[in-house]
Amino acid sequence: MFSRIFWIARVTFLEALRQRFLAFLLLLAAAFILGSVPLRSIDFGHGELKFLADLGFGALFLFGSILAVVLPSQLLYGEIDNRTALTLLAKPVGRGEFLLGKFFGSWAVLGVFTFALTALIGIILLVREPDVVARAMALQVVPPEVSVLGLFEHALLQWLRLGIIVSVALLVGSLAQTFLYTVVVGSMAVLASQLVWIAQDTLANPEAVLSTVMRGALWLTTRIFPNLQGYNIGETLVLGQSMVLPGTVSSLSLSAAVYLVVILFLACTAFRRREI
Amino acid sequence: MTDQPAISVRDLTKDFRVGLRGVKLRAVDNLTLSIPRGQVYGLLGPNGCGKSTTLKIVLGLVPATSGSFTLLGHDSASPEARARIGFLPEAPYFHRFLTGRELVRYCARLSGVAADRVDAATDEALELASMTEAGNRRVGTYSKGMLQRIGLAQAVVHDPELIVLDEPTAGVDPVGSAAIGKMIQAMRQRGKTIVLCSHLLGQVEQVCDRIAVMDRGRLVLEGHIDEVLAQRGVHQISVEGLTPAARQAAEEALSRHGAHVLKVDPPRQTLEDLFRRLVTGSRD
Ligand SMILES: Nc1ncnc2c1ncn2[C@@H]1O[C@H](COP(=O)(O)OP(=O)(O)OP(=O)(O)O)[C@@H](O)[C@H]1O
Ligand SMILES: [Mg+2]
Repeated sequence: MFSRIFWIARVTFLEALRQRFLAFLLLLAAAFILGSVPLRSIDFGHGELKFLADLGFGALFLFGSILAVVLPSQLLYGEIDNRTALTLLAKPVGRGEFLLGKFFGSWAVLGVFTFALTALIGIILLVREPDVVARAMALQVVPPEVSVLGLFEHALLQWLRLGIIVSVALLVGSLAQTFLYTVVVGSMAVLASQLVWIAQDTLANPEAVLSTVMRGALWLTTRIFPNLQGYNIGETLVLGQSMVLPGTVSSLSLSAAVYLVVILFLACTAFRRREI
Repeated sequence: MTDQPAISVRDLTKDFRVGLRGVKLRAVDNLTLSIPRGQVYGLLGPNGCGKSTTLKIVLGLVPATSGSFTLLGHDSASPEARARIGFLPEAPYFHRFLTGRELVRYCARLSGVAADRVDAATDEALELASMTEAGNRRVGTYSKGMLQRIGLAQAVVHDPELIVLDEPTAGVDPVGSAAIGKMIQAMRQRGKTIVLCSHLLGQVEQVCDRIAVMDRGRLVLEGHIDEVLAQRGVHQISVEGLTPAARQAAEEALSRHGAHVLKVDPPRQTLEDLFRRLVTGSRD
């Protein structure tokens, strides 16, 4: 079973690499990040590193999310529309194995994307660091410090977050009939997950006046959608390592793993019933 | 175990819902069929009569509306049954970005060929489909005939007992079709069961042991090819140098024995035979 999932994932990965879409988004994101470097001449002073990190992580977040919704949907519908899925599923390959293969293949592609962009951001930050530190010293303020471990942890968290998005896209794709529908609904689900923290905050705020229905709806929202905004702690991880509470990264990873298992289970169940 | 049919279908019905209002379209209508082992079985019928749908249901790719069926004596969903069959879907389309060889290896692995056998099995299958040379090119660059042949290679790479071919000759030139016919016969000699859907009736007549004809989802004829085609009480004689006098003498001689001639005309060779003698074969 695992070997079949592995082989499907491998071919999925190869297919994605040989498509232009990935290269296009990767180049776009890299251009975006590199393009932000000259902007620092607007003199951010010792805020320069923060500016560069913000932009870099922003680009990673945005383009990564787009890729995580579009790529798995495209790979899934590509196989169904071209009827290659028929050939594969006539073999002793379970529907669940097929879908998991698609998941791991797409997720591996997003891993390449995330770690490549993180490396680029890291290089830019490290190159600029001595200069910025010197300027901060001259002004006698506490200089920022780039944490390589933090960069790595941030990449890991982003990768997990993108994995959740991939699984959501595959779940929607298993239920929907068209590629466009999958991309639209998938994007809306991601947007909702990105905004869940607002619902959480509102619920936690003792001063908020809420009707029971409203409270119930908000509560349900926070239960169904994962709080994806919670994974965007890049700036703190990388530039202010000391401010991150111990255990934050591991607890975020753990909750991501739980979400992944649940969503993938639902996706496999839905895909088993799908007509192809 | 082996006396169970390769495929058995009982009272199978399939309705598709089409359009927004969900109008029912009956693709397969109360079909009962039993395909014995070790034979080449032809499934014939006009476009849209439900051949492909029947095969897809039996292979567990499409759910049936009602009825029951088994595959090599097992439930179609069971991996044991599906590991022992090879399927070439109609109008096959494979991962364009893989080379033919990579594709066949991939299929070998998914079909459970042991890791140390994968290379040998891939080579054999490519050889059988005469795709050894073209195996190093991307599938996206293949001609229709090559696509069908690589489809055959991926269907037989794990040495299955039952091979289901849905229109393996669609879009293939007569020389290529004849080669596919030979492949089918070779596999039959190795004791395989082959189910063949095809519109090339001439070829079906040559390679099939039994045939079933479907029309609008129903079975209209089933039987051994010789039995269904035999025109009882009629015989053909081929004669060279038939002069009018000779013809008259022959007719008289025959009528003395109570036989009479129905028609006399020169036999025509088939266009296919002519074509095959004229051309050497495709460039692939
Ligand atoms: N997924 C589907 N949704 C709706 N109708 C379908 C679907 N698949 C097949 N049909 C319909 O079912 C009928 C049988 O189709 P099928 O593909 O089995 O025919 P066939 O005998 O294989 O024909 P051909 O010789 O053209 O390949 C057709 O009328 C077809 O339009
Ligand atoms: Mg058909």
